Amino acid sequence: MRTFAYERPVSLADAVALLDSHGPSTRLLAGGTDLIIRLRDGSARPGMVIDVKRIPELCPEIRERDGVLTIGATTVMADLAANGLVRRHFEALAEAASVVGSVQIRNRATIAGNICNASPAADTAPPLLVYGAVVVAAGPHGSRRIPISEFFVRSGLTSLEPNELVVAIELPVPASLTGAVHLRRTRRRGHDLASVTLCCSVNEAGVTRLAYGSVGPKPVLEQDETHVLANPSAPDDAKQVVLERMFAEASPSKRSMRASPEYRMAMLRLLGSRAMRTAIERLAEKRGAQA
Amino acid sequence: MSASSIGSSPNRVGGIGRVSGLQEYVADVRLAGVLEAKLVTLDCARAKIISIDTSEAEQVPGVRLVMTAADLPQPMPRFGPQLEDRPVIAVDETKYHGEPVAIVAADTKDAAEEGARLVHVEYEELPAVFTLAAALDPDAPLVQDPSLRPKDPLASTNVLREHHVDWGDIEAAHADVVVENTYSFPIVTHFAIEPHAFIAAPDDNGIAVWSSIQHPYWLQRILAKLLDLPLSKVRVLAPDPGGAFGGKQHAKYEPLVAFAAIRAGRPVRLVLSLEQTFQAVRRAATEIRVRTGFTIDGKLAFQDIKADYLIGAYCDIADRVVGKGSYPGAGPYNVPAVRIFARSILSHTTPSTAFRGFGNPQVNWAVESNIDEGARVLGIDRLEIRLRNLARKGDPFIPFDTPADGDWEQTLRRAAEMIEWGKPLAPGHGRGIALGIKSGPTTGLSYSTVRLLADGSVAIYAGTSDMGQGARTIFAQIAAEELGAPLDAIRVVMGDTAIVPYDQQTSASRSTVLMGNSVLKACSSIQAQIRTMAARLHGIDESAITVERGVVRLPGRELRLMEVLKPGLGKLGGELIGNGETRKDGDADHPLGGAAAFFELNCTAVEAEVDEGTGDISIVRHVTVSDVGTAINRLQVQMQDEGAAIMGLGHTLMEHFIYDETGRIRNLGAIDYRIPTTMDLPLEMRSETIENADGPGPYGAKGMSEGALLCVAAATAAAVREATGVAIRDLPLTPERVWRALRERGGRANAGTNDDGES
Amino acid sequence: MSGVIKTLPIEITVNGRRRTLEVAVHHTLLDVLREDLELTGTKECCLVGECGACTVMVDGRIVDSCLMLAVEADGAEILTVEGLARDGHLNPLQQAFLDKGAVQCGFCTPGQLMAAQALLVENPHPNVAEVQEGLAGNLCRCGCYYQIFEAVLSVAEAGSR
Repeated sequence: MRTFAYERPVSLADAVALLDSHGPSTRLLAGGTDLIIRLRDGSARPGMVIDVKRIPELCPEIRERDGVLTIGATTVMADLAANGLVRRHFEALAEAASVVGSVQIRNRATIAGNICNASPAADTAPPLLVYGAVVVAAGPHGSRRIPISEFFVRSGLTSLEPNELVVAIELPVPASLTGAVHLRRTRRRGHDLASVTLCCSVNEAGVTRLAYGSVGPKPVLEQDETHVLANPSAPDDAKQVVLERMFAEASPSKRSMRASPEYRMAMLRLLGSRAMRTAIERLAEKRGAQA
Repeated sequence: MSASSIGSSPNRVGGIGRVSGLQEYVADVRLAGVLEAKLVTLDCARAKIISIDTSEAEQVPGVRLVMTAADLPQPMPRFGPQLEDRPVIAVDETKYHGEPVAIVAADTKDAAEEGARLVHVEYEELPAVFTLAAALDPDAPLVQDPSLRPKDPLASTNVLREHHVDWGDIEAAHADVVVENTYSFPIVTHFAIEPHAFIAAPDDNGIAVWSSIQHPYWLQRILAKLLDLPLSKVRVLAPDPGGAFGGKQHAKYEPLVAFAAIRAGRPVRLVLSLEQTFQAVRRAATEIRVRTGFTIDGKLAFQDIKADYLIGAYCDIADRVVGKGSYPGAGPYNVPAVRIFARSILSHTTPSTAFRGFGNPQVNWAVESNIDEGARVLGIDRLEIRLRNLARKGDPFIPFDTPADGDWEQTLRRAAEMIEWGKPLAPGHGRGIALGIKSGPTTGLSYSTVRLLADGSVAIYAGTSDMGQGARTIFAQIAAEELGAPLDAIRVVMGDTAIVPYDQQTSASRSTVLMGNSVLKACSSIQAQIRTMAARLHGIDESAITVERGVVRLPGRELRLMEVLKPGLGKLGGELIGNGETRKDGDADHPLGGAAAFFELNCTAVEAEVDEGTGDISIVRHVTVSDVGTAINRLQVQMQDEGAAIMGLGHTLMEHFIYDETGRIRNLGAIDYRIPTTMDLPLEMRSETIENADGPGPYGAKGMSEGALLCVAAATAAAVREATGVAIRDLPLTPERVWRALRERGGRANAGTNDDGES
Repeated sequence: MSGVIKTLPIEITVNGRRRTLEVAVHHTLLDVLREDLELTGTKECCLVGECGACTVMVDGRIVDSCLMLAVEADGAEILTVEGLARDGHLNPLQQAFLDKGAVQCGFCTPGQLMAAQALLVENPHPNVAEVQEGLAGNLCRCGCYYQIFEAVLSVAEAGSR
């Protein structure tokens, strides 16, 4: 691994100042589970690595206030998966966090890192999209809030400016009962990169949201405004039409060695159907529990 | 007298070091003044080297040596266990992705890495052949310089060698049904968790070389020849390998590191990255065409097998793998007519080498699968057809080899029982059963020395490598049995050619039998000396005395061994020394150069469930039964069989190298080369042994540890076939491959439009 | 030259012993444990966080030490395989690994032990599925996974007696 300058700012202002003055030659280090691989293989060659884990504003913390769950940028997957609030309100996010890598990886990989790498296969992206997350970013001109649906640009690129960093992720607690699930396809049952990663939610109002990744340059979010998918009495044919429309954005790479485009598309459809069914079941369970 | 340790499961000798972190592997060896080395490689499969500029690298502070082909003797020294075709370092041309063109040694790894980055190589990428079809194309570039193979009529092709095994008359054989299919087995890699590591140091006018190697004495011979040194001046130290599986049998970069150390005048260490290890060792991909003839009552009429093995750019031991791996291809059956034609095909890929199963799993996959096909055509149960053809003990099933050396029907029947063959299956489930056989060693030479020390403790010197199979423990158990020393008072010294007597090699599941017998003989020699002592001390005839498990029996009385040893050794103390030798000479007229010392026979049976939506295979139950003669250490036998079974599931379900269109390995590294984790195991694994004490090893033991891998693929694919109706003839059975096969089958597989497959 | 190697002082506690070190900023915790501290029980294999051979505990949680810079560990408490035994006695997991045959070549064993240790601290009575999940990040190519499960479960059982 090539050497670099290492900075460990202890305030957000210092971090932003470093980013602002060194910009493109820097790399932010959160969990490091991706960055350190890239430092070693030479695909990342920063002049400076900025370790953000000692910035108080980014600290690993999950708190709920006024119907919004705020997740500190450096919250690791293991904590996300185990957190009671996340599991209660955002079960699919907890599920996604629990399948990222091994225990060792989940103890290091952060929520901000997972989305800032902008890997199309990022497992937390589909649930964050489905749950309407907002990315809180800080830069030289203060902070701004970016809807997650505007965050991913393409593989490896987000809408963050070079001098901005993610401080936290906000998740609005669903106003109505919601059933949701995260599913993925991998080449083996043990930890693996997803060849399809998908999240589906259904709420009491009959709105189905579906987000999927690893089948194109960025994760995609779709919403069924017709309420057909959530309608138990709607005919299967009608549901298929809606689902097909939702998958129109998928364009899996032909170059990938992990799965062929045909297989990914077939699995996207299969997981979509399975996820929808599970989401509806979970919604019904919650209704039952409330009744 | 203590209870016999044979057949029990005492803790692993060397285990405490392994659980405490103190076990020293090559990368852990502390050595003053050692330079750390890095390789310079090109990111292409084949290239013409135009020039190498080392000047910038040499300027890096801390860099002590930059060595290329230009710094080595001319012509470039070449080596190899079969053919001396591998250059110490690439000269003029690289022939596989990752072949080194320079080595940089420096005070620190950082400096070596920096230096390696700054070696500038001007090269021209050349077209590479990395598939069987491309290598066999008449217009294909030749992988080997024909001048390396003078007088060889095949020298102008990429066929390195052809192997023929024939008996009976195929053309005249009467068959009612003939089934012909082609099967493929991919390139897989060993993935020992310890990446290969080497150290060389100038030593006493010679050289000392540390390597995580299975055959230290073979390496010693190769180094002595390359460096023109007497054997006594080449000291090979072989710390226990952290997994080897055949990949660490033969010299790879030891000669390069040795030349570097001599040139630097200092010790040099090279630890490969896992990626470089993947580029250093792998199993041969194989395409097997099988034509099987059956009579109407399910008897095998003939087997006509053609197997093309895709070996690499240099021979290594690959051609022996082809010859020995295809040889028992017709299986443990009485087949009246057999024709096996196997070829070693060179390619611009990593030299393929020995890998657990040694070329047998490939042919087994095809032949066992084809027997199932025949059974289906004939409407005969797949277990039944095997029973009808299986060789019974003593049958000359390979006419010019050792007759069937076990009650193999017992093995087959036990596995069938354990998988509940014939019982109704849940929907989406299927069963498969297959037999695997492999020839044990055809030649061998193992010396050992056992020292019975003055206090009754024991030191054993045996040149086997303990790479996890547990050879130390076996030898200690033998000495404990024969000399009565408690296991924790036995030291087993291995891995140093300057101290330990010669052993030919650690391979072919030989060590329990060959070195085990050698240790047994060394112990017998000590027992004889004890008898002589007792006779002298007590004034009786030696023939009236027996020694067993630390007890000396004289007429009418028993003495503890110490009661003889102590007075026998007298005031000066000292020790008794026994030497053992096991020799299995070859037979020049035999197709393999010698008959099998024993056969490894295994039956694997699998129950699998297939998710027709995704193509996922779940192994519900995996049964593996091996005929081991006698299990000297029950737990170690179980671990070896289950470990082999899991490794077999790796190549069956997920492992394969993927190449790009220019011949580079795309899934180079642990992220995309998938092997089984804790989550990928059969829901239930059951392993058992058949023990009739009918092996040639100590206490009736046979060699084992490869058997349980041999037929995993065939058994699994057969289960998938029963579950789904689709026959898949290419490995691995990835979910996508199964899904595709289901889609082609049509019918129930309709992934996507609706959910399915979950019963 | 890509530049002079930058170093920083760090203070870490390794196996109960406080250490003050000057480390290269680009060296991983694995590098520093193995080379600077000569604690070679922690093994190097894949360097991409897939195999788990380099697993150590940092502030009570297991990590792949190949994917953590040593400077990131500044102030942390680290436990490696060398810290498992106490007063010359193997800890119960180490003993169980020996007794149950959970060790073959031994190269993955230190990582397996650390992962198992962390699992039992967090979940003293895991079922098989939880053991499988907890150890999924530790590859064993010798394939003694079932024996490893048995070893971990036997310690859990002994703990509940």
